[in-house]
Amino acid sequence: MTDLLRRLLRTPQGAIGSALLLLLLLLCIAGPALAPRDPEAIDFLGRFRPPGAENWLGADQLGRDVLSRLMTGARATIPLALLATLLGTLAGAVIGTLSAYLGGRWDEAIMRNIDAVMAIPGLLLALLLVSSLGKGSLNATLAIAVAFTPGMARVTRSVALNVRAQDYVKAALARGEGSLFIVLREMLPNVVGPVVVETTIRVAFAVMLFATMSFLGLGAQPPAPEWGLMVAEARRFVHQAPWIILAPALAIAVTAIAFNLLGDGLRDALNPRDER
Amino acid sequence: MSAVLSVEAYSLDYRLRQGTARVLDGVNITIGRGEVVGLVGESGSGKSSLAWAIMRHLPRNAVEAGGALRLGGLDLRGLDAAGVQAVRGRRIGMVFQDPSTALNPTLRLGEQVMEVLIRHRGLTRPEARDAAEAALTEVELRDPAALMRRYPHEASGGEKQRVVIATAFATQPELILFDEPTTALDVITGARILELFARLREHTGVAALYISHDLGLVSRVADRVSVLRRGRIVEEGTPAQVFRAPAHDYTRGLVAAVPRPERRLVADAPGSATVLAADALSVRYGRRRLFRPPPPPATEAVTLAVREGEILGVVGESGSGKSSLARGLTGLASFGGAVQAAGRRLDRPGAMDRAYRRAVQIVFQHPDSSLNPRMRIGEILSRPLRLHGGATTEIPALLEQVRLPPDYARKYPHQLSGGEKQRVAIARAFAARPSIVICDEITASLDVSVQAQVIELLLALRRQHGTAYLFITHDLNLIRQIAHRIAVMQRGRLVDLREAAAIDAPDAHPYTRALIAASPTPVG
Repeated sequence: MTDLLRRLLRTPQGAIGSALLLLLLLLCIAGPALAPRDPEAIDFLGRFRPPGAENWLGADQLGRDVLSRLMTGARATIPLALLATLLGTLAGAVIGTLSAYLGGRWDEAIMRNIDAVMAIPGLLLALLLVSSLGKGSLNATLAIAVAFTPGMARVTRSVALNVRAQDYVKAALARGEGSLFIVLREMLPNVVGPVVVETTIRVAFAVMLFATMSFLGLGAQPPAPEWGLMVAEARRFVHQAPWIILAPALAIAVTAIAFNLLGDGLRDALNPRDER
Repeated sequence: MSAVLSVEAYSLDYRLRQGTARVLDGVNITIGRGEVVGLVGESGSGKSSLAWAIMRHLPRNAVEAGGALRLGGLDLRGLDAAGVQAVRGRRIGMVFQDPSTALNPTLRLGEQVMEVLIRHRGLTRPEARDAAEAALTEVELRDPAALMRRYPHEASGGEKQRVVIATAFATQPELILFDEPTTALDVITGARILELFARLREHTGVAALYISHDLGLVSRVADRVSVLRRGRIVEEGTPAQVFRAPAHDYTRGLVAAVPRPERRLVADAPGSATVLAADALSVRYGRRRLFRPPPPPATEAVTLAVREGEILGVVGESGSGKSSLARGLTGLASFGGAVQAAGRRLDRPGAMDRAYRRAVQIVFQHPDSSLNPRMRIGEILSRPLRLHGGATTEIPALLEQVRLPPDYARKYPHQLSGGEKQRVAIARAFAARPSIVICDEITASLDVSVQAQVIELLLALRRQHGTAYLFITHDLNLIRQIAHRIAVMQRGRLVDLREAAAIDAPDAHPYTRALIAASPTPVG
């Protein structure tokens, strides 16, 4: 594990990604304590105050401090997006690998079902699930995880098909290993590279999906400082006060970039062949 | 005589994280007009690096440390991008190892030949079409006009390699580099390609650098041979000199490692009890589909039996069904007919229980893909021990058995060389204490000297454990050295099965005789 970390930090992408994520982690843990103001304190005199000494990143339409809201909102945004992605990835990776391993009719049956689920747009599927499960952040997380599963299953299956054809899988079959061992120990570690990269890209999508659901009133509820919700609320004032939308949008972008960089770094670090 | 190519004291380094590694060290090679120089070396000796240096296509971390490369009077190292373009393909042609990756799968074969002609000889499209057809006729392809309309996947390996050769010759270059042109082809096709090369050479008087790891082969095509070892030329001379009276120790080792059918390595006779038998075994791939005829079987009703401690060789060209036979016997493919082992008859892979799986082990061709890259060697070896009732404390002994140091258990497969990986695969097979090991072309991807070591190891293990081998190979010379009996397969059928000593008897199947004729006879 320490070995992996050392290799991760040796690549520039890994080092920068890790540094950014460490910063975000700090925000998640200590954000509310560090915030200069109360994120929900309304100040009608300071509406649309541009960035300056009083509000470093400006104030929004209700005069709330954007920086404080950002710092507090990290906790409502990142962990849930990450959780949703990880759940979706795990389910998708196992289904995809299993499908590739079983092959033939089973593969066909699993993949056609996946296709059927994929035919429903992810957002629509998530909305459907949330409206039947009920509003709330946790249900939104589950819904997004389910929406991500088919795509991950497809990506994993295509990688796993190559792995399935490798001789070490045949060797395991020939010595009579159980299916579970082959899927989990022989195949899954070898499909991890592309899956990790795909996962990190999807974290950013998850943040946006949360935002959309919050915007539609099915995820986080105002006045929560969730980043996606902040973008959605600031939409109307984009000409009047662009900083209100820019700050959370940039925060989302930085999060996405951080995860992408980490993904690139991890892909190299996870490959034992790479000894540079 | 003016030299077509002269390589003078050429040195090349690769920049790596750990420092620089010298790949070529003061290499001198001169090729005169119409001369063929063979370059022999093991993998990693730098022979392909030299070819790419001549083609001016070196990786970014390559540093040329000195020396000169001259084509006629032209200094290749001083060329700019445009100069390189004018030389590549036009004055130096190249023929690659694997024709299936050397041709673009999305372009018709004709397009690929014409492109070279239009680019380098400035022909118009109709002219190029005629010239391409002539070039393909030259390499003895049947119906070139029809072939030009086909895509690479619609042609056989031999046909594709002929197209590549035709493309290399089409611009009438002064020099052609051959990088293991027959290694990816089966024995008979390879032999025909060599005949073609000899004829074309006589015809055009082209000079060539022929790179190969196969000494027997090089001795037949080259006028002079240079032996490359770790970037240095250790010996050069005519093939007869080099092979009959090698001066350098390294060359002597190489020559000794070449398999010779008359030198038997196994003297004892096998037992009489059968350990594994195929009874009318057929393997078929792909499912039967509606409205479509079923695919042809990969092997058809093969019946053979391996006796206790016997080495049974299975030979045949690629696509003859040798590997499918191995897959059927190990239950990796569904089969028709039956497999018999330990007095039991098994008619489907599901019937193979733990005892059968323990008794019948398989070692695959490519050591790179047969070891899980994410597991350490120790973990790889512990699986069969755990499954078949052994203790993980046996791992050091297992490694020692295949002559690897015990601390290799902590390494990952990629840290090992090809030969070492294959030893680990052999150790994994022997961990289950099998009564028969199926060896599926296990030395095909190894160098000659490493191959000799692996064979020696297998024979030692057999002496120790009395294990039988089903030894699948395309190398007839090798199998004649070690097998008790040899089975010959062609297009999925078993066409010949006889004692190894009687393989060249006059009553052998015509296909067996063709295989023997195509196997390169070692010099000396």
